[in-house]
Amino acid sequence: MEEFLLRLQESDFGVWVSSAPTLLAYPTILMLHTVGLAMVVGPAAVLDLRLLGYGARMPVSALRGIFRVMWIGFAINASTGIALFISEADDKGMQWIFWVKMVAILFAVIVTTRTKKVVYGGDRNPEIVPPQAKSLAVASLALWFAAITAGRLMAYIK
Amino acid sequence: MLLLFASWLHRTPISVALQHQVSWLWPMCETLHFAGLALLLGVAGMFDLRLLGFMKSVPISVVKEFMPWALVGFTLNLLTGAIFIISEPAQYFGNPTWWLKVTFLVIAGLNAMIFETTYGRRAAAIPAGEATPTALKVIAGVSLVSWLGVLWAGRMLPFLGAGVGAGL
Repeated sequence: MEEFLLRLQESDFGVWVSSAPTLLAYPTILMLHTVGLAMVVGPAAVLDLRLLGYGARMPVSALRGIFRVMWIGFAINASTGIALFISEADDKGMQWIFWVKMVAILFAVIVTTRTKKVVYGGDRNPEIVPPQAKSLAVASLALWFAAITAGRLMAYIK
Repeated sequence: MLLLFASWLHRTPISVALQHQVSWLWPMCETLHFAGLALLLGVAGMFDLRLLGFMKSVPISVVKEFMPWALVGFTLNLLTGAIFIISEPAQYFGNPTWWLKVTFLVIAGLNAMIFETTYGRRAAAIPAGEATPTALKVIAGVSLVSWLGVLWAGRMLPFLGAGVGAGL
């Protein structure tokens, strides 16, 4: 396992990301990872807050498009995340806090797809928010915050 | 002059207190700074997209009801940002990229002020489904670009113009 991670890190691509003398490598990829974060967690927070009853004049049905923004953000962050991981595979892959982040994201994605099904699925009327959607909204907010926290702590907990 | 101010600030009791805070204060503030950024951009971004013509079935005034949450995110980032600056003033005042970030912030702020003072009422009066006037679309575009500029400059701080590569 460690040998594989090391090989990733020392691959041409890994070395380019981590040490190419250009702002387009590590800095820009890291910056795009933050843009993706905003595109995932921002819209998620809007939908979650609405499901919890804030901004109640906003029709829930109008927020359906939010999932598309989130998936674009998620795609950005999956790809930039993979690039960042490769560049430091041997460090990150061995960090327990990195795996906490991955698990938090996994659960957050499951919660998000559940939310979509519970609120918009089948012939449901999105304006009638089921109680389950509120619990999912709380879970979503907590899990995304956990993912952000774990991600930030990757720079501190070795 | 600025660096003089920075070194004075660095010696003030509040700065010294923050410098000697528990080691997790800085990471915690960074985490909140990222969460606040997501909240601010998520809510303000949605409002800007509405002005640009998305979600037309919802009146602008209804989308605006979420804006207090953008303000929550902004306040969170203002507070955590102030903690960074007060703890390590030279790291920010001495970095041209930080001034770029402040410039984008000022543009975003003035833009929001122009919206509030000049177009706020007019925007609220636009019925659902109707096209928004070009002026409002320009304001929305400026808002999106300037907030992304704030994010871009903020994330580039350690890489562009930083004397020391302190804490990524």
